[in-house]
Amino acid sequence: MKAIDKSDFSEFVDNLIEDDDREVVGVQKKDSKFAFDPLYESDDLRLDYDTTILPPKKYFMPQRETLIEYNIEKGETTPVNRVVPRIILGVHPYDLVAIGQMDKVFEDTHEDPYYLEKRRQSVLVGVNMENVSDKSFASTMGTATIDSGYDLMLTDIGDRYAIEVGSSKGSSLLEQAGAAVDDAKPEEIRKVKQFKEDLPEKFRSDPEFDPFELPSLLKEYYDNDEFWEENSEDCLSCGTCNLVCPTCYCFDVKDVNDISLSEGERMRTWDGCMLEEFAEVAGDENFREEKAARYRHRYMRKGRYMYNRFGDIACVGCGRCSEQCLPDIADPVDIFNQMKEGTS
Amino acid sequence: MKPRVAFFDFAGCEGDQLQVANLEERLLDLLELVEVVNFREVISQKSDDYDIAFIEGSIATDHDAERLEEVRENADVLVALGSCAAIGGINSIRNSQDPKEVEERVYGDDADKIEAWDKAKPADAVVDVDHYIYGCPIDQDEFVHVVESLVQGKEPKIPTYPVCVECKMNENVCVFSRNGGDKNVSSAKREVQVPGSQKVEKGPFCLGPVTRAGCDSKCVNEGTTCWGCRGLVDNPNQNAHKKVLDKYGLTVEEVLNKFNLYFGWQQEERKNE
Repeated sequence: MKAIDKSDFSEFVDNLIEDDDREVVGVQKKDSKFAFDPLYESDDLRLDYDTTILPPKKYFMPQRETLIEYNIEKGETTPVNRVVPRIILGVHPYDLVAIGQMDKVFEDTHEDPYYLEKRRQSVLVGVNMENVSDKSFASTMGTATIDSGYDLMLTDIGDRYAIEVGSSKGSSLLEQAGAAVDDAKPEEIRKVKQFKEDLPEKFRSDPEFDPFELPSLLKEYYDNDEFWEENSEDCLSCGTCNLVCPTCYCFDVKDVNDISLSEGERMRTWDGCMLEEFAEVAGDENFREEKAARYRHRYMRKGRYMYNRFGDIACVGCGRCSEQCLPDIADPVDIFNQMKEGTS
Repeated sequence: MKPRVAFFDFAGCEGDQLQVANLEERLLDLLELVEVVNFREVISQKSDDYDIAFIEGSIATDHDAERLEEVRENADVLVALGSCAAIGGINSIRNSQDPKEVEERVYGDDADKIEAWDKAKPADAVVDVDHYIYGCPIDQDEFVHVVESLVQGKEPKIPTYPVCVECKMNENVCVFSRNGGDKNVSSAKREVQVPGSQKVEKGPFCLGPVTRAGCDSKCVNEGTTCWGCRGLVDNPNQNAHKKVLDKYGLTVEEVLNKFNLYFGWQQEERKNE
């Protein structure tokens, strides 16, 4: 473990902004919330944030991106992958877990060069959670702390940050901080250990389930139409819970022609299974026409389908869906608790 | 042969045609695809020989209806351009009020000269409409997309989901969370200064959750709220949305006022379904 004085860390970040060819992004205040955004000075970096509006997945799978440029007249297509190499500062452990899951998804079956190349060219600097969002249940999901999946991991230990190095990418980034970085002292290492041990107390205490129970609970509830209808009654089908989720990766692909109709771009944009048209296919058939069916699908995917395919529970407990759902019906803890109570 | 395009205006401000005129250099590109034969804001030529008709404005008099029926007969494809033609729009605010009172309020002593219908209607209340371009005013990119799709014989793709989708993608702070608002605090009554005036009103509140997207949430991006100008989504969950507005402290009457700004006609239609 390494450590750096906070003032030296700020200088290090300012130097990266100034000198490094990569774009430096970090968590910053946005009105009453926080968001990952390009960083122009280290003072704007808020490593004490609770959670961000969108997860950092937007850097590997942008909301809108061009896949191919084509020229209809010439019959030419050109693959395009607009990669911006980035240093991403301040990723919480649950988001790192989510990124690890996404890596598996985008590597599996058909490697997705658009995602993977952006991943390869980015450096993830994590930070342990000093403040915890009211809705987060990461400790229940086992994602409040993490031993790998980052290039560097910071922990606030007072006047200094302790730094765990997770990869050679991370250690070469840290070399740019030069002599300001030294080995962490044993009491600093002890502080980090203690910090992680004390962390669960900061989380909400209402979850009554264990993550490993979710696949079987969900299986049991699959056919309970009444349960899904009741819980989805107030769903606005606005897709917020999908869009803000760090493990939702569905996208739509469309061709956008230039007004000349001679050239255009094939784009992909974020999509979400809560949106009405998501499961609509040719012939106007919609496999999940009712909001209850869509609502169920989201939970099945988080707690069962991804588990069956990759062995991961695809909910990392960040609490974003719950926090941002206006009718307040997207809290996974509420749903999982109800199931647990109903079966015990 | 290029499709011949005509624009017609009814009860409206012509702001949507202005959006088309303001395409500027893109308008020249567009003219490579279509031939414009009727467009009062731009050309003086007039013709009854056209393939695609764009209708702007609500339909509010017998004379409007006759004109519109004539256009429908002449055109192969009829497109409602902008909220007044597509959903009734602002004009339908008056639909829930006493028509006599409205006429007197606006025209005073001349009120009896007015032969308007009791309700302002969208184009499809009178004739069949093939395509809709929503917005007050319309979005230029969407207009170009629709024209381009029609020229190619493709179905234009207009979002069926609410504005929240685009707003989230733009990572806006939710309007309901602004000024330290917290959706988890029930009946949180908040008051905000209306920008540029001394007026203080409750809020902010947002109609984004039930309004059709396609505007890239531009009003919220710029710091204001969604007023619902693109009309309701096909299957809005208005009950859930009312509960949300109620939670933030809006009374039933205030909620209906918000909905009435653009949703007047659609609300009535939904009631009759």
